[in-house]
Amino acid sequence: MSSFALTAYVLIWPAIAATVMVTLCVSLWRDMRKAKRDGTDLV
Amino acid sequence: MFQLSTLTVLLLMFCFYGLTFLVSLRVGRKEENVDGYMVSNNSIGFGMSAASMTATWIWAASFYAAATAGYKFGISGALHYGFWGALMILFIYPFGRRFRQLAPKAHTLAEIMHARHGRSSQMILAGSNIVGSLISLMVNFTAAGALVAVLSPLSFTHGVLIAGVGILTYTIWSGFRSSVLTDFGQLFAMIFAAVVIIPIIFFQLGGPEIFAQGMPKITPEQASFYSKTAILEQGAPYFVAVLAYAIGNQTIAQRLFAVREDLMKSTFVTATIGYASIVIGLGMLGFLALLAGIEPLDGDLNNLIPQMASTYLPPFAVGLFFIMVIGSLSSTADSDLSALSALVMTDVYGKNIAKGKPNPKTMLFVGRLTMVLATMLAMIFASMKLDILTMLIFVGALWGAIVFPVIASLYWERITNAAFTSAAIAGFVMFLVARFELLEMQGVVALFFELCASIGGGVVIGLMAFGFLGKRAGFVLGALAFMVFAPFAFGFLRDYPVLLSSLTAYGVSTVVCVLVSLRSNQTFDFDCINERVVAFHHDAEPDTVNGASPCPVSL
Repeated sequence: MSSFALTAYVLIWPAIAATVMVTLCVSLWRDMRKAKRDGTDLV
Repeated sequence: MFQLSTLTVLLLMFCFYGLTFLVSLRVGRKEENVDGYMVSNNSIGFGMSAASMTATWIWAASFYAAATAGYKFGISGALHYGFWGALMILFIYPFGRRFRQLAPKAHTLAEIMHARHGRSSQMILAGSNIVGSLISLMVNFTAAGALVAVLSPLSFTHGVLIAGVGILTYTIWSGFRSSVLTDFGQLFAMIFAAVVIIPIIFFQLGGPEIFAQGMPKITPEQASFYSKTAILEQGAPYFVAVLAYAIGNQTIAQRLFAVREDLMKSTFVTATIGYASIVIGLGMLGFLALLAGIEPLDGDLNNLIPQMASTYLPPFAVGLFFIMVIGSLSSTADSDLSALSALVMTDVYGKNIAKGKPNPKTMLFVGRLTMVLATMLAMIFASMKLDILTMLIFVGALWGAIVFPVIASLYWERITNAAFTSAAIAGFVMFLVARFELLEMQGVVALFFELCASIGGGVVIGLMAFGFLGKRAGFVLGALAFMVFAPFAFGFLRDYPVLLSSLTAYGVSTVVCVLVSLRSNQTFDFDCINERVVAFHHDAEPDTVNGASPCPVSL
């Protein structure tokens, strides 16, 4: 296995984690706006 | 090794728990609702619920164990820890849909078993959940103590005390709602730290150069993606535990009942990906340590990650690492406290002491008192430094023995309370015999246990296939798995007692459950579950037909 492939194998995980975090932040922001609009609790 | 000063550590922990407490105040209510205290409003959105599920599933041990797997087994080690751990979340999804469909207002899985079977089945499940959550709480406090002791001049006991009091303070008032709300911030801290720390350590160790220098020095097994050692010693036992941990863990069940029903799929899939990426990523640090030829401090593999953090990270990143671990253990510990309070409130007080007619104020008091007592007990156990691994194996086996009875009870109308109870007891007893070799594993005895374990292997694959592909696929793939597995198992599995005993628990409990159920002609109307499992806060009357309930009242 090449060094490039192994580097990608090691660094892909933090990249995926960052993507998940962005997705969750955007969803939370939408949920907060909806809760405010509907006058309901977030949890 | 670099250490943070006492003042820095105290400031970091004070700020972390202080901020978390302030966040939890946002959801505080003067008159707390008991159902909200246990499962929120049953309609939490995607972002919050997926973050909470991910944060809860990642505990401090996830980092240490993943890195240990990477260090011991090489390139595939971290995958064999993180991938199967992530699948535990995914595999509860199809069964979770069924739980929600049958009992949308449930608080615990044991409560559903009470409605389905009665007290003994409920208490077996609730008891195993309580023991599991208490052990998890203790492990997280132990991790806090160890972290503080390694990275600062403070002692182990200081770490346990600060973490215990800090977590209890922000969880006790609003229970599960505090836990879910604070999980988001804790996960954010964890991911941010992981995204920063992994690349920094990688490039500090020389970047891609480390592979050219390190790969020739490791064994062929460690350099292979298909390492047999990694599969047999790490992957396979963990794979077997996938369903057991998913069914036996109340923290996940609670989130299952709390998320909005139409968002369950996206929540579970995202939590699976989130967990896998963080844990496998941190497990890569173990693999990098192996390539760099780093020896763990005092020969203890648990020191590997703190050691690498303190050696290769600048001081600000060591602080980030500290917060990451504190965040991971706190998010799991507050979930354990919420789980324990829900179990005692619902299954001990609600169903057994108050006989289904609880006083909400007393119930809330019981929940908060449970949190205080559980925190004290876990702190005492943590300070005794008991053999955690042995205790986890016990709980894991107990959960393995209840997986089939729990799942089948919610699909097959013929399973009885006697079948559930006898299956769980038989599975657990046979596990003990195999795990501790109470009988000599030779000749006919060994063959018998290998046959039970082969059935167990078929059951695990069959249940997984059943969850996603339906009944026919479950039966076919389960039978195929048994036929493929059995020839390899005979004469071989006796040398792997952990795997043999875990699979035996599945196999024996399934056979006993089926045989005892077939002896009875009793059938069950699943609609009764929804009638019996109701919200506690409202005085909901059961639906009746012409004034009479179609279902006998279960006490």
